[in-house]
Amino acid sequence: MLGREFKKNYIYYTRKESYELLNYIIRRFLILPFILFGVTVLVFSMIMMLGPYQRLSTYINDPAQLKGQDMDELVAKYGLDDPWYEQYGRWIGGVAQGDFGWSESAGQPVSEAIFSRFPATLELAVFAVIPVIMGGIWLGVLSAVHHNQKFDHIIRIISTIGWSFPTFVFGLMVLMIFYGVLGWFPPGRLGADAAAIVRSAEFASYTGLNVLDGILNLEFGVVLDSFRHLIGPIVTLAIVWWSYILRITRSSMLETLRKDYIRTARAKGVAEKFVINKHARRNALIPVVTVAGPMVLGLLGGVVIVESVFGYRGIGQYAAQAAQQLDYSGILGVAMYFSFLLILINLIVDVSYAVIDPRIRLE
Amino acid sequence: MQKKLVILLTLVLVFSVFSVVGAQEVKSPDTFTFVTIGDQSTLDPHFAYDTGSSEVIYQVYETLIDYDGESVQDFVPLLSTEIPSQENGLVNEDGSEYTFVIREGVEFSNGNSLTPEDVKYSFLRGMVSDRSGGPIWMLYEPLFGAGFAGLSDVTADLVGVEDPKQLTDEQAEEVLAALDEKITIDGNEVTFHLAAPYPPFLNIVAKGASWGSILDKEWSMEQGAWDGTAADIAASHDPVKEEDPLFDKMMGTGPFILTEWVNGDNVVFRRNDNYWGELANFKTAIIRNVDEWSTRKLMLLRGDADMIYAPTQYRAQVESEDGVVVTTGIPVLQNMNMVFNWDITTEGNNYIGSGEMDGEGIPSDFFDDQDVRKAFSYSFNYQAFLEQVRMGEAIQLRGPIVDPLLGYDENSDVYSLDLEKAEEHFRNAFGGELWETGFTMDLVYNSGNDPRKTAADMLKSYIERINPKFNINVRGVQWSTYLDASVRGTLPASFGGWLADFPDPHNFVQPFLASAGYYAGRRGDTYKEWAEEIGINDLISEGISTTDSTRREEIYKELQQMSIDHAIDLWIDQPTGSNTRRTWVEGWYPNAMRPGVDFYSMDKVAE
Repeated sequence: MLGREFKKNYIYYTRKESYELLNYIIRRFLILPFILFGVTVLVFSMIMMLGPYQRLSTYINDPAQLKGQDMDELVAKYGLDDPWYEQYGRWIGGVAQGDFGWSESAGQPVSEAIFSRFPATLELAVFAVIPVIMGGIWLGVLSAVHHNQKFDHIIRIISTIGWSFPTFVFGLMVLMIFYGVLGWFPPGRLGADAAAIVRSAEFASYTGLNVLDGILNLEFGVVLDSFRHLIGPIVTLAIVWWSYILRITRSSMLETLRKDYIRTARAKGVAEKFVINKHARRNALIPVVTVAGPMVLGLLGGVVIVESVFGYRGIGQYAAQAAQQLDYSGILGVAMYFSFLLILINLIVDVSYAVIDPRIRLE
Repeated sequence: MQKKLVILLTLVLVFSVFSVVGAQEVKSPDTFTFVTIGDQSTLDPHFAYDTGSSEVIYQVYETLIDYDGESVQDFVPLLSTEIPSQENGLVNEDGSEYTFVIREGVEFSNGNSLTPEDVKYSFLRGMVSDRSGGPIWMLYEPLFGAGFAGLSDVTADLVGVEDPKQLTDEQAEEVLAALDEKITIDGNEVTFHLAAPYPPFLNIVAKGASWGSILDKEWSMEQGAWDGTAADIAASHDPVKEEDPLFDKMMGTGPFILTEWVNGDNVVFRRNDNYWGELANFKTAIIRNVDEWSTRKLMLLRGDADMIYAPTQYRAQVESEDGVVVTTGIPVLQNMNMVFNWDITTEGNNYIGSGEMDGEGIPSDFFDDQDVRKAFSYSFNYQAFLEQVRMGEAIQLRGPIVDPLLGYDENSDVYSLDLEKAEEHFRNAFGGELWETGFTMDLVYNSGNDPRKTAADMLKSYIERINPKFNINVRGVQWSTYLDASVRGTLPASFGGWLADFPDPHNFVQPFLASAGYYAGRRGDTYKEWAEEIGINDLISEGISTTDSTRREEIYKELQQMSIDHAIDLWIDQPTGSNTRRTWVEGWYPNAMRPGVDFYSMDKVAE
C-alpha cells in the first residue's frame, strides 16, 4: 500500500505543472545560442592573445615543416594578422551558414571532424554508462548495508585505490593483461577483418555505432568484435568511476538508512530487502544523479586518456589534438559541442530531480 | 561455488594458451599493418612536403624512375623504360636535356591508359599549383635556373607580375608558353629542357619524391585540378589546402589503391589487381596511427602489427622478444645543428637579458664574433651526446653535408669537447671584453624535444664552468612560442635540422650556407653579406652547375671545411634510423630516400 501511494506521487503532474516543465525546457533552449556565442567570444579572444606567428603553429606543427616556408606569406594567406574582429567575423559568418570552418589538426571540416568521431564516443558512453553507474550504485548500496563489516572495508580500500590511481595506469594494466597476455580485448574500435567488412560496399552504416550497425546488417562477427574492443576501455572507466559513485551512493545510503521513515518501515515489519531497495535506495539516488550528469558529460565529451591508451578515435582525442596544435576552428567547434552537451545534460539532470523527487519544482 | 571457480579459471587458462599460441603464427597473411605515429597533411603529391603524406603517396602513385634497392645514386626504370644517360643518348652532351621513354601498356587504377601527355601534364600542374612553402621549387630550380624557386619568380621575370593570381589572360598565355617549352613530347618520349646542367635532376624525379608523381590528366581535370589552360593558372595557383581538388583523392598507376583515409587514425589500401607489374603480396595494407608506445608495442607482440615505429629510448623493450626483429644503423640523410644568430633582433627580446655587453645580457652581434662561435663549438660534448642521447645511433656532423653524400669526408676536421681551447676563444672574443664582463643569455628549445634540451643543458654546464661570469638559462617553450621567436629572429641560437629532399650535397649546402638559403635567414643579414664576400655563394653555384664529379667533390669538401673553420653553426649529429618488425616480414630493405614503408616490396612468410 505504501509503495502504491509513493508511485502515484511519483508520476502525477497537474496540467499546470506540465506546462511549467515544458516552459522551463523551452527557456533553457532559447538561451542556448547566447551561451554558445559567449563561449566562442571567450575562447576566440583567448586565442587572439597569441601573436600571428604563434598561431601559425596551427599550420606548421613540426620543426621539420619549417623548411622552405615563407612565414609572412603564410600569415597573409591565412589572414592571421587581420584584426581580431575580422577573423571572428569570418568565422561566425561561416557558422551562420552552417560552416564551422576547417580543422587543420583533423584535416577536415570541423563539423565532419566532430560528427565522424561522435559515434565512437557515443558507443563507448552508451555501453560504459550502464555498467559504470549501475555497478557503482550496487557496490555503494552493498557497502552501506554492510556498514563497517569486512565487505565494506574491502570495498572502501579498493575504491580509494581506484580513485587515486591515474587512469592511464589502469588503462595500461588492462591493456597489458587482457590484450598483451590474454589477447582478449584489443585496442582500437575494430580488428582488421571486421573493419574490412564495415568498409565494404555491402555493409550499410546506419548509425556509425558498430554494434548497432552490425546487428542491423546481420553481421554478428562485427558485433562481437566491437564488444571485444569496447570492453577494455569500459573496464578502465568502470574501475575509476565505480570508486567515485560507490562512495557517493554509500554515504547517501547510510544517511537515508538512518531516516525515521526507514525505522518506521522496519518497525512495521516490511521486509529488509524491500526497505533497502524500495524505500532507501531510491531516496539515496538524488546525489548520485547529481554526479552522474557530469559523468555522462565526461563520457560524451570524450575521455582523452582512455581513448589515447586504447587507440580509440573519439572526440576526446580530437579535442586534445586541436588544443595541442592551436587549431582554433577545432577548439571553437569542440567548445560549442561541449557547451551544448553541458546545457542539455544539466537540463536532463534538473528534470530528473523533479521526476525523482516531486517536492522539487522547476521555477 | 568453488567448483564453478575452478571451471572458470580452467577456461581462462585454456583460452589464454590458445591465444598466445595463435600469436606465434602469421596473422592475417593477406594484410600488412604498419602502426606508427603522425598523420598526413594532404594526399596531393604537389602539395605534400612531409613524410607522413609522402608515405601514402608512395604506395599509390608512381614516378618515372625508382631507386635501385638501398642505393640512393643508382636507378631502375619505372614508368620510363630506361634510365636517361649520356651513354644511351637520353641525356644530351652538356647534361641539360633529359629524355624519358614512357612505358606502354600501363593503366591508372581507373582503367585510363598512361600517355606521355599525362607525364607532361603532371609536371606542369605541379609548377602551376606551386603552393607557398611547398616542394615545387625543386622543379623550378633545374628548369629555369638558380634564383627561380617558384611560379612567382617566372611571372615576375617574364611579365613583371609577382603574384601569379594577378595575371591577365595575355600574360598567362605567355607564362604557360614558357612552362610548356620546358617539357616537350615527341612520340612516346618526354624531354625536360633544363636551364643549365643540374646533376641531381634524376634524383628529383625518382620515386620517393612525391612531386615527381604521374597523375591521370583526364581524371585530375575531372576532379577540378588545373585544366591545362592559361586562363586557369590564377585559380589553380597556390591553393588553400582544403580547397585543393586532390587533397583527399588519389588516382595512380601504383600497386595499391587508396580505400580509406581517416586522418589521424588510419589509411587503408587495397591491392591494384590491374597493376602493370607483378601484383603486390597483400590484398590490404594499413598505416595505423597509434600515439601511445605501449599500445604499439603490444600490437607488435600480439602480431596485430607487422611493423611499428619504435623510438630509440623504448626499443630495448622489444628487441629481445621472440618473433621480433630490429634493424639499426640505417643511414638517414638528416642532420641536427645549433644555428647561431649572427644578428639578433633586440627589440622586444627577452632571451638576451639587457641586450648589452654588460654581463647581464648579450649584444645583437654576439655570435658575429667567430671566437664566440668557436668557443661554443669547443664546449659541446659530442661523444656523450652521441652515446647517451642517441644511444650510439648517430655520427658527429662535419659540416652540413651528411654521410655518404659527395663532399662528406670521414677524416675531415671536427670539433670536440676541449674546454681549454674554448677558454682561449672566449678570452679573445670582443677583444677580451667578453671575458671581463661575462654574459647572460637564454638557450631555448621547444618543450618535449628531449635531445634539444640535453644539448642545451650540456652547453650550459660546460660554459658556466669556464668562467663564473658566464650564465646560460635553458628554457623550454611551447612550439608556437618557439616558432614565433625564430621567425622574429629573437632567439640567440636555435636548433635546426634538415631531412634531404634529394640525395645530393647541394640540398644541404644551399639551405645551410647560401645567403639565400633557409638558415641564412635565421642568422640575419650579417651572415648573408659575409657569405657573399667570402665566396660561399659562388662555390655553391659552381657546385650545382658542373657535371664534373671530381670538381664537385672538391667544392663540397671546401664548403664543408669552411663551415668548420668559421664555426658557422654548431654542427651536432646525423642520426641513423631503425626498423622494428615481425620476423615473418620478408623483403624489407632500407632506403634513405623512401618516405616510410614500402608495402609492395614485402611479404609475410611463416617461420
